[in-house]
Amino acid sequence: MKYISREALQTWLDRLANDVTLIAPRLVDDILLYQSVSSAREIVLDYTRPKMSAKEVVLPSSEPILFVEKRGQEVSLTEPSSGAQIIFGLRPCDAHGIAVLDTVFVGQEPIDLNYARRREAITLIGLSCPQMREDCFCTSMGGMPNDPTHFDVLLTEVEDGYAVNTVTDKGRTLVDHLNLEEIKGEPAEPIINETESVLAQEHWPDLFADHYWDLLAERCLECRMCAYLCPVCRCFDVQDQVTQQGISYSKYDRLRCWDSCTGTNYRVVAGGHNPRATKGQRLRNRFFCKFHYFPVEYDHSGCVGCGRCIEACPVNIDIVEVMRDISRAFNASQISNASPDAEKGVTA
Amino acid sequence: MTEFTLQDQIRDRAKQLLASEQVKCVIGYEHGSRGQVRPAFIHQINDVDSLVWNQGCTHNLVTYLRDIKGTFGSDEHLQRVAIIVKPCDSRALNVLLAEKQIEREHIYVIGVVCTGIVEGAGYAGQSSDKLQTRCVRCSDRVPVIYDLLVGEPTHPEITDDYVDLTELEAMPPAERAAFWLKQYERCILCYACRQVCPGCYCSTCMFERDDSLWVGIAAGVKEKEAFHLGRAYHLAARCIGCDECERVCPMELPLSLLNHKLAKEVQRLFHYCAGDEPSQSPLATMLAEGEEFPA
Amino acid sequence: MSEHTFQPRIIAFCCNWCSYAGADLAGVSRLQMPADFNIIRVMCSARVAPEWIIKALLNGIDGVMVLGCHIGDCHYISGNHRAAKRFVLLKEMLAFVGVHPDRLLVDWVSASEGRKFQTLVTEFSKRVKELGPCREWQVEIQTPQR
Repeated sequence: MKYISREALQTWLDRLANDVTLIAPRLVDDILLYQSVSSAREIVLDYTRPKMSAKEVVLPSSEPILFVEKRGQEVSLTEPSSGAQIIFGLRPCDAHGIAVLDTVFVGQEPIDLNYARRREAITLIGLSCPQMREDCFCTSMGGMPNDPTHFDVLLTEVEDGYAVNTVTDKGRTLVDHLNLEEIKGEPAEPIINETESVLAQEHWPDLFADHYWDLLAERCLECRMCAYLCPVCRCFDVQDQVTQQGISYSKYDRLRCWDSCTGTNYRVVAGGHNPRATKGQRLRNRFFCKFHYFPVEYDHSGCVGCGRCIEACPVNIDIVEVMRDISRAFNASQISNASPDAEKGVTA
Repeated sequence: MTEFTLQDQIRDRAKQLLASEQVKCVIGYEHGSRGQVRPAFIHQINDVDSLVWNQGCTHNLVTYLRDIKGTFGSDEHLQRVAIIVKPCDSRALNVLLAEKQIEREHIYVIGVVCTGIVEGAGYAGQSSDKLQTRCVRCSDRVPVIYDLLVGEPTHPEITDDYVDLTELEAMPPAERAAFWLKQYERCILCYACRQVCPGCYCSTCMFERDDSLWVGIAAGVKEKEAFHLGRAYHLAARCIGCDECERVCPMELPLSLLNHKLAKEVQRLFHYCAGDEPSQSPLATMLAEGEEFPA
Repeated sequence: MSEHTFQPRIIAFCCNWCSYAGADLAGVSRLQMPADFNIIRVMCSARVAPEWIIKALLNGIDGVMVLGCHIGDCHYISGNHRAAKRFVLLKEMLAFVGVHPDRLLVDWVSASEGRKFQTLVTEFSKRVKELGPCREWQVEIQTPQR
């Protein structure tokens, strides 16, 4: 592992900001967000977790996937292009989130060309968390506050500077010419929270029809905050939007925009029927997606444990609490199956 | 009277109501997963003791009546819903009553005299000792509508004069426009402001209709601006100023400024304050004799 | 854009029963009017949703006129009462978000007031020309690249 001093890091970041689009944690009206920066000075290094995940960079909230131009009878289609981007200061949970998105969009055929094009040009430079926040639970989801797996380069704070862990070739080309020295000693281990146990995916269907979901959803407001802040939630809607309309000339953008299963009309089909008619069914889908459907499909959890939804939910729908309740309910049902007298269901 | 006894009174009454089957559910507050307070729906007497009342009870529970609407039987087995309201929330109740969204006999209102809610309430580890701005500005410490009043009425003097609003009003128009655009840019269109609002009860929001020629699905600043301005106007003379939209906004947009501005103009133009009584908004009624607009 | 080349884009919402007939009268009377407005016929001035005006002004329209029957003459008895109240409030909100309130004009034109229609359109067009394009400053504020 190499070492970079704080000053050298600033110079390096300044150069990166100059050469490519550098995205880093930046304060926008007192809110920390991953946004493009023009110099190292704008970057906040002392932070726990930006409000939004870095999902926005790889999967923007609304992106044109096709431009359609119609001139007379002639129709021309243009695909958007994307330039090189470096995300600096990414936390391991966010990188894990991007890795999960990779498995969805480019992990199997047919791949998503738009996503692939953009992702190809993105380099991830991470920053380890010195400790977990109270609402963080990445360790329960297979992550670690200093997990280098999903990065190209991972920096870890040490005294007076950062330990540089180069993970991929992409990262090596970035770091190699900096002529860094070898680090003396090892960076300190992060302070971690207790690990939560997650109910195994095959047991979730047992609780599909449980009354718990309706009770939990009573206080749900059905906003889409949790999905939009989530590094993994990746549902989208595609629509054509007219940008210019005339007799002989018109222009349309085909847009891909975020959508969320917690919204009322997410599942509405032609004719107006809504198969997920109740709030409980919609909220249940959010958790089933993360802990059952996703693991079944891709073999790992659809949650990375960043804790953003826990912090932001205005009515305290706490994913960790749900995990605990579900585990408890499952265990209780196992016991009650063994002894038919015991009460079935969740008491939450 | 201390808060402890207010909480006891609420629990006592909730127990009576559920025991006598006068109500099928009590909508109140309980402790959340991380020490904060969250909305609670109490269906059983055994759960009544989880009801709490303290300065963290920030949620406007009237919003939830939207979901319950239509679940009442019309016959002799009418089972009501009990709801705990703060003075601000009670005003939202008046708005919904005036707009025939709920029937008075369907709800049992437990009004609580409120001494103000603290900043950061509802979120884990964010509560402070400071009162929320809306509470500093509130002179209405007694609910305007209730079946049972809990607490001793007080009428504090208000000292706040909406500095944030007057500052913005004093800005040159172009700067003010730039200010708002900068705010909208941050918006992620999660619609939490709309969902939390007791006044936003349309089954399909006009900004979410499946019609790309009217409102596109793009998350561009134009769409965001149209949404926020449209929403603010739809709430003109209906917004009761609970500021829940601002509290829930993950991007901390100062949405209450728009609402307060409109409330102020409604007061000036029509001498009307939403929620004071269950009366129709002046925007939905005829001109009075001799009244003239544009003046 | 320099002052003399700027041709404003104006939308005039005219109610079916009075103002549209008034505009028609102005037309058949061959009254001279600027050609920079488009009429949208609506059944009543109260049908004009504030969102339409907001949307128009944010999307390249420089001025909006809402014309209805005179108070007391509304075909639907009180439609224009509501329109009168709504748009006076909308003006305040538009001003608050940085759109000049003069970009919205609410007035009453009866079927026999072709001359008044002409005057209103001419004056309004002149005023909007003075104000310049709506949201000209918007170009200065770029959406950050994320």
